[in-house]
Amino acid sequence: MAAPGFWEVARRPRWIGALLLCLAIAAAFAALGQWQLERSVAGNVVPDESSESVVPLDGFAEPGAAVTEPQIGQRVSLDGSYVAADFTVLGHRMDRGREGWWLVGHLVTTANGRDADLAVALGWAPTEAAARAAIPAAPAGEVAIEGRFLPTEAPTDSDFEAGERSALAVSELVNEWSGPALPVFDGYVIAAAAPAGLEAIDAPPPSREFTVNLLNVFYAIEWAIFAGAALYLWWRLVKDVVEAEGEEDPDAASETADDAHGSSGARK
Amino acid sequence: MPLALRPADIPRIRTVLAVYRVSAMLTGVFLLLLCVMMVLRYGFGVDIELGGPFGFLALTQVGHLTAINLSVVLLAVHGWLYVLYLALDFLLWRLVRFDFVRFLWIALGGVIPFFSFFLEFRVPPFINAAIARVEEKQEASA
Repeated sequence: MAAPGFWEVARRPRWIGALLLCLAIAAAFAALGQWQLERSVAGNVVPDESSESVVPLDGFAEPGAAVTEPQIGQRVSLDGSYVAADFTVLGHRMDRGREGWWLVGHLVTTANGRDADLAVALGWAPTEAAARAAIPAAPAGEVAIEGRFLPTEAPTDSDFEAGERSALAVSELVNEWSGPALPVFDGYVIAAAAPAGLEAIDAPPPSREFTVNLLNVFYAIEWAIFAGAALYLWWRLVKDVVEAEGEEDPDAASETADDAHGSSGARK
Repeated sequence: MPLALRPADIPRIRTVLAVYRVSAMLTGVFLLLLCVMMVLRYGFGVDIELGGPFGFLALTQVGHLTAINLSVVLLAVHGWLYVLYLALDFLLWRLVRFDFVRFLWIALGGVIPFFSFFLEFRVPPFINAAIARVEEKQEASA
């Protein structure tokens, strides 16, 4: 009796069953890979333009509440009046690649029908003197402001040793503001239009980048490899039976053995 | 019916076996660390933080880590060590030509705690015996 060929062994019910099992396992692995691919892009917010349509700040953000991720960079409109004594300037503010100064004002606005404090960055100037010079030009009385809403910066960003303040930290500003203590917004607004003598601060729309979780991508690749391995194992097991039956049969032994050597690569 | 190993493969088998033993120990150790990490994460809701604000090694609530998350590192390292372990298991299976069930059995060593330590001292005698059988046969026929 001649040794059986690969497909003769493969057609035996036992090995057809094994093939079905391996296919099922491979399919399950492929599904797991698919799941990992979905997870790699999960958590991405769909890029939307909602930050670019102007909404009233009153109702959009709450005084005293932390600024949330979707709120960052929202274009807002509000009414209020500046407290004339509370203008300050901040140094080391980068604007379109140039270093300069910001004029920051204390605005009393309304939130939920009550007065509330808000820090507003009015504009940018190349020097401290130019920034201070613009204070008298700041609008007095009730003003309507449009701008971009951003979360407060940390006071520790300022260079204390040099005695310079550069961070727009609401918690730091409120200590110096005059007037009764009101609920204060935990963010500030960069005004879209600057008073005379200042340049409008460059405030680009927030970048909501599309990120891919590489770890999940690697897992997906792994599952694809595992699915391939399941099918390879079936082929290898059938091949083993073919070889074993060939080696038991002395006449066919040399032929099958040579074949096995060739197919398994570097082995001799 | 498993075939006998090829005499020409014997030096290679010895090399693979030596690497396998190291791999089994390493995988076993990391599997135990992984168990500790799983109990901490899913039992107590904390991850192991390395070099964070609460000390060199600290248990920090999941999702509140700022420094290196050692729990995730353990997960990844065990994953890769297990891939290496499986590759060595596969090489042994092909070279020594033992049966497929034994291959699966050895593969379990990387996922059942302490099992790889057991295998680490049970697999070498079995393979050495297989080598000895082939060598005896060769001497007899020479």
